[in-house]
Amino acid sequence: MSALLTVSGVSKSYPGVLALDGVNLRLQAGKIHALVGENGAGKSSLIKILTGVIEPDAGDIVLAGKPVRFSRPRESLAAGIAVVHQERNLIPRYSVAENMFLDRLPTRYGVVQRRQMHDGARRWLDVLELDVDPATPVRYLSVAQMQLVEIGRALSLQSKVLLLDEPTASISEHEVERLVGILRRLRDQGTAILFVSHKLEEVISLCDRITVLRDGQNASDAQPLAGMSKDDIVTLMVGREAAVTGLGTRTATPGPCRLELDGVATAAGHVGVNIKVHAGEVVGLYGLVGAGRTELAKALIGVDRVTGGHVRIDGRPVRVRSPLEALRRWRLGYVSEDRKGEGLILAHSVTRNTAITVWHRLRRAGGLIWGGIERAFIRPLIERLDVRTPSLEQAVGNLSGGNQQKVSVAKWLAADTRILIIDEPTVGVDVRTKGYLHRLVWKLADEGTAVLLITSELAEMIQLADRIYVMNGYRVVGEVANSHDYDGMSGTLMQIIQKDNDVRFQPGRAQEERGGQHV
Amino acid sequence: MNASILARMLRHDWLPLLLMAIAAIVVLALISASFFSNYNLFVMLRILSVTSLVALSQMVTIAIGQMNLAVGAIGGLVAILFGAMLELYGVPIPLAVLAAIGIGLLCGAVNGVLIAWTRINGFIITLAMLSVFTGLNYGITKSIPFYNMPQALKTAYDSYLGPIPMILFIPVLAALGVGFVLNRTRAGRHMLAMGGNPAAAELAGISVTRTLIFTHVLSGGLAGLAGVVAVARLGTAEPSIGADWLLASFAAPVIGGAALAGGHVSVIGTMIAVVLVILLENGLLLARTNPFYVQFFLGALILLAVMFNQWRARRTEARRASGRVVPT
Repeated sequence: MSALLTVSGVSKSYPGVLALDGVNLRLQAGKIHALVGENGAGKSSLIKILTGVIEPDAGDIVLAGKPVRFSRPRESLAAGIAVVHQERNLIPRYSVAENMFLDRLPTRYGVVQRRQMHDGARRWLDVLELDVDPATPVRYLSVAQMQLVEIGRALSLQSKVLLLDEPTASISEHEVERLVGILRRLRDQGTAILFVSHKLEEVISLCDRITVLRDGQNASDAQPLAGMSKDDIVTLMVGREAAVTGLGTRTATPGPCRLELDGVATAAGHVGVNIKVHAGEVVGLYGLVGAGRTELAKALIGVDRVTGGHVRIDGRPVRVRSPLEALRRWRLGYVSEDRKGEGLILAHSVTRNTAITVWHRLRRAGGLIWGGIERAFIRPLIERLDVRTPSLEQAVGNLSGGNQQKVSVAKWLAADTRILIIDEPTVGVDVRTKGYLHRLVWKLADEGTAVLLITSELAEMIQLADRIYVMNGYRVVGEVANSHDYDGMSGTLMQIIQKDNDVRFQPGRAQEERGGQHV
Repeated sequence: MNASILARMLRHDWLPLLLMAIAAIVVLALISASFFSNYNLFVMLRILSVTSLVALSQMVTIAIGQMNLAVGAIGGLVAILFGAMLELYGVPIPLAVLAAIGIGLLCGAVNGVLIAWTRINGFIITLAMLSVFTGLNYGITKSIPFYNMPQALKTAYDSYLGPIPMILFIPVLAALGVGFVLNRTRAGRHMLAMGGNPAAAELAGISVTRTLIFTHVLSGGLAGLAGVVAVARLGTAEPSIGADWLLASFAAPVIGGAALAGGHVSVIGTMIAVVLVILLENGLLLARTNPFYVQFFLGALILLAVMFNQWRARRTEARRASGRVVPT
């Protein structure tokens, strides 16, 4: 049977990173095709190419026998490709119906026909058994409801090709079952479906074929799923060598408790968060996208407000009002997950980016900062982190992703923090840099730093953390000692989240009722 | 006042403003007997007829998260070309009005196409075009007004429909029209979608380019119409028309509750804000304040209104956070 959508030899590079390297993908009408891979393997880049968000550097896309090339989302939509992106793409003030039909509002003489639009939306809400009024602004919906609205939008296009990037990440098991039913029906009607998920059980039970990406390349190309086990898929995802070698092990020798959260609530919406991080310990904070981990970190460094409970540093109750205070007074640092947006000033030099946390210490007479003193202070750090840069005066925007990340970490090493929150340290960096950063996290802990590690990458979490807290819906819903056994731990962590979701999303059960409760 | 009633009223962007405007009217009526005189009301209405269009012209660009610094320059250029058509070429008034609005639309189209084509920030493009349009204006007129406007223009401007002055229709119809476009038409919904979340709008298949150009065309048309009305109001086509519009053009939408980042504007709020600004100026005049201080008080009003909006937004945010576990 010939493919409806064929992608062959597609490559895409960003400065310093090869996101996709000659990737192939073949979707057939009437089949559900799984696309899996670790974070940063290139799944989202591939989807963005198929939907005209980014253009490939090389390679061909053939849709229904005709070569196509999309340079904007409209073109791919018009060609009959519908998508649910991983990130939410809704307009908060707009109604459910408007968000679903934004690009094809029913109009008469240019005037929007609301009733017709609401009727159209209701039809798809009914299919999804989502009981909301089509006129409700989406900002009043829960995360799960928003996700279902996005799915409804994609379904309403009734397109030949349907791409779903992590559609089940934030919805309950019951809603997943309903979605699975709908997808099977669409498949039987001849739609070609691409299903991206981290949940391998879902993939195995739902999909017909699988394409696995690893570091921007095909680890498998439209392989039939029949007979494959979860282990087989994981091996394809991480690669045999990576699964075997790794870092070895580390024995943590926790010292006194550096950071303690006791029933902490925040303005961002956290409730009853209890966390302890000891000196010399790597404590993981695991959760799905949107669980509230980064938001918690931001509250701890004083960007957002802590509204209840106690934060203690070295046993003393503290109130951190700003990142400045966090750094200067408590020596608490935060390596941002968003190195381009928050971690670095891309147009500035390596020196300036690194020294930014210590300028107050480098000041000499009259408050002046001398370049020589600055560079002398920075150079050992840059060398220690093995940042590959032609010179210290190079703008960090010109460095590769991995080296940018090292600079982002370097500035916190310069600050000599006692507590360091590291958020997604290895997103978009190559394998070698990743290993390097992993060793660095352990080294920091060995030297007595209390490390709170946030990462969405399960393998990284299980590799690095001594203990893991599981966060879901802005609460800590479990605490697990890390056995460093991937299969066992991944099952345990997912189970905790799934169990919590099932309780949270049970109809008629207010979320507030169980705020702060531990599983 | 009952706390819950207050809370409910605060939910509307424009209700506190309306209360402020009513309070201002009461105070002014108490201060000065001449406030409610026909003459004074008519003076205010004449200002309203121009300023409301200027505010709406800026408001539509704010809706998509941009700015049009050339609002006044377009108004001025249209005004003198309108005057030239009437005085030099004897073009019939209705035709000249239509042509003048057409010129405004064209100026807006130039702004929009340049922004879309160069992908340079709209602030810079409209700043440059502010100078270009003003330069054309002074080049054509050598800074000399067209004085001889047909009497029919003045008569039409000051005429009544029954007891209602014709010029009251201008702000009312313009506000209804812009409100209708933003809320009920496809183009308007695309504008606010683009302002609210440009990435989501583009991913949903909206043409951001087309929306951007449409918005600037609309803004240019409204600015042009403001220029025409200003000529009718003054009775001469002065090159300096529009030179002092910029502050009010931003002040009214912002006081009216618009988000400068885009995605949220209030037509009613903007119109009440225009009235409030006019009342402020009128009040200072009636109270015989040094007219040079008008700018000072206008600035203070803008600051107060924006601080109030900010306070209200924070309050709503805090409520939402405390009421729900998962923020949206």
